[in-house]
This record gives sequence, structure tokens and C-alpha cells, in this order.
Amino acid sequence: MAAAIDGVLPGTLQELVKKSKVLVVGAGGIGCEVLKNLVLSGFHDIEIIDLDTIDLSNLNRQFLFHREHVGKSKARVARESALSFNPDAKIIAHHDSVTASQYGVSFFQKFDVILSALDNRAARNHVNRMCLNADVPLIESGTSGYNGQVELIKRGLTQCYECTPKEKQRTFPGCTIRNTPSEPIHCIVWAKHLFNQLFGESVDDEDISPDAADPDAQGPPQQGDADAAAGGDGDGDAKKPTEAEEEDATNGNVVRINTRQWAKDCDYDAGQLFNKFFDEDINYLLKMSHLWTSRKPPVPVSWDTLVPEGTTDVQPEFARQHHKVWTVEECAHVFANALKELAAAFLKQEAEGETLSWDKDDQPAMDFVAACANVRSYIFNIERKSRFEIKSMAGNIIPAIATTNAITAGISVLRAFNVLQAKWEQCKAVYARLRPNARGQFLVPDASLAGPNPKCYVCALDPAITLRIDTKRVHMKELRDDVLIKTLNMLHPDVNMMGTATILLSSEEDETTENDSKLLHELNVVDGTILSCDDFHQNYNLSIIISHFNAERDDPLFEVVADAKQLQPTKEQPKKEIAEEETVKAKEERKRSTNGADDGPSTSKRSRPTEIEDDDDDDCLVIEEDNDEDVMIVATDSLSVESTPKTAIKRKPSEAMEEEEDITEILDSSDEEAAGPTKCKRSKIEPSDLKIDPLMEVINID
Amino acid sequence: MGVEVDNKETAVELTEAETELYDRQIRLWGLESQKRLRTAKILISGLNGLGAEVTKNIILSGVNSVTLHDIQVVTEEDFCSQFLAARESLGKNRAKASLERARALNPMVDISADTQPLEEKTAEFFATFDVVLIIGQSNNELLRIDAICQELGVKFFAGDVWGMFGFYFASLQRHSYVEDVVKFKEVEAKPNQKAKFEKYAVPVQREVNYPAYSAWIDFDANAAGYQRQLKKDGPGVILLGVLQKFRTAHKRDPSYKSREADIGLLKAIRAELAPKSALSDNSLEVLFSQISPAVAVVGGVVAQEIIKVVTRMEAPHRNLFIFDPDTCAGYVQVIGG
Repeated sequence: MAAAIDGVLPGTLQELVKKSKVLVVGAGGIGCEVLKNLVLSGFHDIEIIDLDTIDLSNLNRQFLFHREHVGKSKARVARESALSFNPDAKIIAHHDSVTASQYGVSFFQKFDVILSALDNRAARNHVNRMCLNADVPLIESGTSGYNGQVELIKRGLTQCYECTPKEKQRTFPGCTIRNTPSEPIHCIVWAKHLFNQLFGESVDDEDISPDAADPDAQGPPQQGDADAAAGGDGDGDAKKPTEAEEEDATNGNVVRINTRQWAKDCDYDAGQLFNKFFDEDINYLLKMSHLWTSRKPPVPVSWDTLVPEGTTDVQPEFARQHHKVWTVEECAHVFANALKELAAAFLKQEAEGETLSWDKDDQPAMDFVAACANVRSYIFNIERKSRFEIKSMAGNIIPAIATTNAITAGISVLRAFNVLQAKWEQCKAVYARLRPNARGQFLVPDASLAGPNPKCYVCALDPAITLRIDTKRVHMKELRDDVLIKTLNMLHPDVNMMGTATILLSSEEDETTENDSKLLHELNVVDGTILSCDDFHQNYNLSIIISHFNAERDDPLFEVVADAKQLQPTKEQPKKEIAEEETVKAKEERKRSTNGADDGPSTSKRSRPTEIEDDDDDDCLVIEEDNDEDVMIVATDSLSVESTPKTAIKRKPSEAMEEEEDITEILDSSDEEAAGPTKCKRSKIEPSDLKIDPLMEVINID
Repeated sequence: MGVEVDNKETAVELTEAETELYDRQIRLWGLESQKRLRTAKILISGLNGLGAEVTKNIILSGVNSVTLHDIQVVTEEDFCSQFLAARESLGKNRAKASLERARALNPMVDISADTQPLEEKTAEFFATFDVVLIIGQSNNELLRIDAICQELGVKFFAGDVWGMFGFYFASLQRHSYVEDVVKFKEVEAKPNQKAKFEKYAVPVQREVNYPAYSAWIDFDANAAGYQRQLKKDGPGVILLGVLQKFRTAHKRDPSYKSREADIGLLKAIRAELAPKSALSDNSLEVLFSQISPAVAVVGGVVAQEIIKVVTRMEAPHRNLFIFDPDTCAGYVQVIGG
């Protein structure tokens, strides 16, 4: 309440703080701290939004929450606690997702400044777009361990959150996961897939069985076995009764259901399941002898050698020792107990048409993954990890401490003071670090304000990208889900063929469902096609130029290239044996410098000084960059969006809106007698109006 | 027998609760550090906004005990940043007024209040702590306590925030710690593949000597050899000198109640101490009371340093920290030794 006491703050700042309206997005580690700083500084008009509820593991840093609040809404409890610090403040709490449709541009426009304290990239992208649209300054912040970051995003002045490419989630080729794991993470990913196979929602590309079509295997051992296995048949040999029932072994879903069914038919017998996954399947892999010419072959383990007397019902002591690296025998015990619990839970869910979803905080689910990952690691002679370590990797847990959050949130609110006073030049990005740099700084401001990237596919005037995609293998549904939503961060995209009226994809329910299952080329989306993509809620329009290529097996099916140069076949670089530590170090630095981190420092800045850990809270697979050539999604370090030749003139909705408003304005001022109709037209133009030719309206009014 | 088994189980439960509560930080600094924190006894003297921020962070980290020491009462200006004292506690002792909310932050930490004047505290008192943080005291008192702590081997911090400007000084005597040094090794590459490198950390034991608080008193910011550094870092060190001089001369800090007059007094001290310094008039405008976001920054930094000292992980900064609210730069200066 500093602003409530005369003389504490300089006069102008005091007035600005008193009258400003502020939005805090996220009531987590940084959000709690930001909210406290705001109410104590004397901000009166605050809204806070968070969809999350309070978890015990939040309490080491989210200090507005206590034990008795576990399970309650973060936004609401944060509001209550902050009000106790300053009962004069007015705080509105929204227990909701900031991407929900009611928080449109007009909602964002209400605020003088927005402080975002989010933990995931999708929401950050969205808030970035909304603030750009609403032209409201955004102070973006993030932390990861000892590292923190605060930066201003202001339309036209600074780079936006999406001006610099963020590193992709690390993914692994299917055959590494299924056939030739070499790191603990490969086994952890496999174990999570196994969980989903048995109990979860079936997801494409999550086969756990040996993959006989692995090009490394250079031909399957026997044609008969290979046919069965190629389709992802988990059984791997002909003895299994389920195999005969497999009508369509080339369709993963059929097989998955059968694996699940088979486990159910075995009554989830721990020994039978264990032997199938860790003995029979491994023996099948061994038959693919080409795989093991340059690799150490796996060693199958069988249930009877590990658990001669079967398991007991009691949870053994070691199962709770999360920091201990379990022996393979102990893993077998944990596997059996977890399986029992999960099977019971699954059957209950199944009766209601539901499945289980893997959660790192669900004890049997986590036990199951830890045990299975370790047994597989044992088999492949990979270092085993403690349950605690596996949880970090499987759950993508980002370490978080109170102090970094406090520092980061403090800087965030100090920057808000600058923003309110329009001291833009004083809003340079600031990084918090564990160790001081050469100048002795560990809270390090950038040397200058980073300007917008003119080629940004979000904040550029007329954004466009080139999409390299296999139009003969990608369906419309995948274009929507994987490209437009997951990669280009749209929420509810509409897609038109440029220059025609053809609607390929509509965000309206059921309008274009029939296109979902069609391949792009069947819809005439071929090399050279230009798609006009809109997200109405984000007020975002993007042109996508299609560049077709025939993807090899295990190649990514699409890639956002944008830079035309990348379309040229790349010459193989002469391979150098790099051994000097320096080179590698520099490389590491560069890698780190492009790591966009969820829950972590929010943007990838060219000057991010030191030691950012990789992190990402979306699903799985991060940890570190992979050099494998056959990664599913190629890291797009080089994604700098190039403007593309414009072959068609297009009209952005926003332009239309502006023009429309201009016209109404002119009418208002020049034709004052036109009482009734003009007043009507003065009201804000609804989006749907945009479809009407503006000229028509002018005529009507006249 | 039965009772014994029950007790054992409760003990295990408790440990699980702890590891669950501290999960996200154990993943950063490890189990060993968390165990060290569990035994640490901390004194925080001066429960203004800065004291409250450090208290919060330290309690959340899971130390053994925190003693809140203060003889002052809660005033209106405390509500600019001292969130541990409730509105109703106006006029009550600040340490006592902070107890309830401090305890709610983490029931596993033992928290007590002490209201005896600091001048009466002797070695016997300071010996009961691992780390001592003194806020809002005169240089003379800081010198006295630091000397006692030197003798006892108790780690000593002095820190303050004026408005948005803040500092701390660390007097850690001989301090040993473990630091991870990152190295790279080549990983066995598959045929036809690029050589891969793997990062790995090697823990290295290090030891460093910290000079006493007197090093700061003896420090001459006008010394010719220091001017280049001063130009690079900005006038934070000069400002700290001006503010401490104000405190010594007027037996108080600049007050919002006499804002304009006190800015005048500060300018007079500036003219006397550092006539040609780059210390601007603007930076004298934001030195009143304690402004919450700035206190959060300095309180976060001080608490992190206390955690480093207790866990003996990572090098504590050496040894004078300055927070410049104008740029939001936070930097360290080596003073003495």
C-alpha cells in the first residue's frame, strides 16, 4: 500500500499505481509473489487468473497457500491471502484457463499492463498474441531452478514471445524406443508407452513391441514372424492365442486393443505379463540379429528367476525408498504390486467407458513406470535410476525454489512501474543467474531492448511461413492438430485455400468433419498451394505456403521451414572429429541459448548467459538435445521466418476491421443529422459483420 | 512393542511428507542439502519488509529454526512491504506480530520471537545460531556483532533496503563449499554417426576467506583505483555510503514524512562524500520506506545466500551486493581481502 501513503513513492508513480488496472496471469510460484508485491505497492485494481488447484509440492514456494488449501483454486486462495496483506485492494480471481474464449481481446484491453507468470509455452504463446492484439504491454517472466527471466513485450517496440524460435520437445525415433534403447530416457518413454498400451488412452506411435521394420535390422529374421511383428504385434511369436484374432495387423489400433485385451484375458497375471515384455519380446528382438552386430545385445529376464515365490500383498520396504536404485528383483516386486493396483483401477474406469491417464503423482502409475523402465534398462545394460530420478524425467519436473521466484517477481513488478511511467528504454530484459558474470552481475539486464523480428510469423505485419510437408501422408486432421495447433500454437484454426472460397477446415463443429480423414493432396493441397489460416479468437492470420516432399520412413512428416534456403538439399558437411572441449562448450552454449523453457525462463534470447536447464512440462521427452539424425521432429534452431513471395493479395480481418471503423468514423463526423442509424453503426463492429462488404454498409447508412 | 512400531511408522510418514513438500527444491540442490537445511538455526534481526521477505524464504526452505528479533513496533509504513504483520498489529512488537503468519508458512520449522535490545545480546546469544542476519543497525553495532561472530565462527550477514535500493554484506570467515564443475566427455558413437558429447558435473570442494565487516568501513570509494569500476557498475556503492552516513548522522533513515527535507539532507551528504559522483537526483527520489518488489529482490538474494552457506553448496557471492533499482542489475563487489 505504498501508494496509499503520501511521500513514499515519487508523486507521479504514486498516482499511476493507484489508478492502474493490472492483470496477473498465473497464480503459481511467480504469480503469488507478483500479487503480494502489487497489493503492498498499493495497486487497487487487480485481476488474477489461474486454472490450477493447489498441490502439496507447491507449498515450498507458493507462499500464499498453506496445507489446508491443498486441492483448492490457486487464483481464489491467492486472492484471499493477498487481501489480508492489503484489505483495501480490489482483486478479482478467475479460476479459469486464460485461453478460454471469454477472455478475448476486449478483456485484455481493460488493463494498463499485464504480468504473466505462466508455466507452459502454449499459454504463453496465447497471452503473447492477445496482448499484441490488444496492444497492452506484457511483462513476461519465468523461472527454472536458479534461473529467472523478465522481459517486456510491447507491440512494435520489442520482440514478441514468438519472435525467436523455441526449441522443440525432444522426441525419439520409434525404433530406438522399441528396439534399441541406449539411454535411461528411452526406457522411461517405453515404460510410459507400455502404461498407455495397457491402461491408457491409445495414442498413435506408442508401440512398445519389437519393430521388425526397423531399417537397422536390414530385413527381418523370418518372413512369417516379421509380418506379425511389423504391425506392432506385441506377442512376437506364434504361440499367443490372440494373434490369430488379429484381423488387421497393419493397423496399430487393432493390435493395441488386442494387447490390452490379452493382458485382461491373462487376468493381469504379473508373471505372464512380465515374461511377455521382458523375456519373449526381448528374445524376438535378439532374432533381429543385424541390430546386434554393432550393439551389445539385450539379455532377457524371466519372472521365475527373479521372483521364485511370487509376490506378496504387502508393499515391501524398498518400494517406498524413492532415492534408492532398485535391484531388478525389487523392480519385479514393484511391478507386480503396481500392476495389481492399476488393473483394478483400470477395470473400474473401463466399466464407465474411461481409461487411466498417466500421472507422475499417482503412486502405482509412477511405480509401474519406474519398475518397467529399470527392468528394461537392466536388460539393455543401461544405467538404472532411482524412482525419484525417473519421476523427474518421466514427469518433466522443473526444479523450483522460493528465492528465484521472489527475485523474478520483484523485477517483474519493478518493470511494471517503468511501463506505467512509459519509461520504455528502462525495460530491458533481466536474467537471474546462480553465478555472477565477468562483471560481477548475477541479476543481469540486457544491454538494449530487443526489437521485433520483422520476419516473425506472429507479430510481423503480414505473417507467412513455408511448410515442408508430405501431402500424401498427412491428413487434414493432423494438419490441424500437429501443425496448426501444436506447432503453430493456434487454438481454433480455420483454413481456406488462398484465392478460392474453399473452406478446408472450419473451427465450427462438424462443418468440415468429412475432411478430417482426407489426405492433403486429396483436398488439392499440393506443392505450391497457399493456405490462409485464421484463428479468430487470437485475431491471427497466417499464410502457409505448402512445399511437398516425400518423407522417408521415420522422417518427420512436416517441418516449418520458412527459410527458403532450407529447401535446398543440404550438402553433407565434412565430418570433423571434434574433441576440443572448447568447441563443444561453445556448442553447448549455443544450444542452451535457444532453449525455450516451459515454466522456465520464458524466451530464448540470443544473449541468455548461462546454464539454462532444458525443461518442458508438456507430456514427455525432453532432457537434452539429441544429435540423432532420425529424430521425429527436427529441432528448428534455424527457424527464422522469411517473408514469402506473395502470389495472391489477401485481406486480413484486422485490416478489414480498421477500414470499416474508419468508414464509420467518417460518417459519424460528416453526417451529424443521420441520427439513428449512425449511432447504431458507432457500436463496435462485430466479427461477423466483417463478412459483409463494407461498401454495402456505407450505402445503407447514406 | 506395538507402540514402538507405531512410532516408527509415524516417523517414516513424516519423512515422506517432508520429501513431498520439498520435492521441487530437492530436485535442485539434492537430499544432502535438504538435510543440512533441516539442522540450521537462523537469526533474523530487524523485522521490516526486508526481514519479512528473508524470513519467508528461509522458512519455506525448511531450516530447523528461525528466531525473529526486533524491539521496534509495527508502523503504518510497514504495510508497504512487511506482509507478516497483520493490519491489526499496528503498534505491537514487530517480531511478535510476525509470528503467526511466519508459522503458517511451514509448520515444520520452529519459529520464535525475541524482543530484548540487540545491544544487550552477547556472544552467548549469537553462539546459538549458524547464520545471523542483522537489518537496520548502525555501523558500530554491525561491527560489534560481526566481531563476535568472527570469534564464534558464526556466519554474519548485514543487509538493508531503502525504498527500492538495497545491499547486503557477507562476513563468512573461512567458508568451504562444494561446487559442480561442468565437463564434457565423448560418448561412444554408433558407426556412421557424429561424435556425441555428454555433459557431466564433477563436484569440487573449495574454500574461501571472507574479510570482516570492517573491510567495508575502511573502503574508500573515492580511491583512484576504484573509479573505473565505479563507472562500470554505477554509483550504487556511493549511494550506500551516503545512506549509511545519513543513518549515523541523524540516528534514523530518510523518512517519507519529511521527504523533501530529507532529500536535501541526502544531497548535502552526497556533496560531502562524493562531490563529483554520478549519483543522480532521481535516485534519491526512491529511497523512502521499503518498496515491496525491490525488497522481494534483495530478500530473495539474501535468503539464497543463507541457503548456500547452510548447505555448503555453490560459492556464496563475495562479499558486497548492490541492487540498482534503475536498471534492475544486481552485482557483487569484492571489498577488502
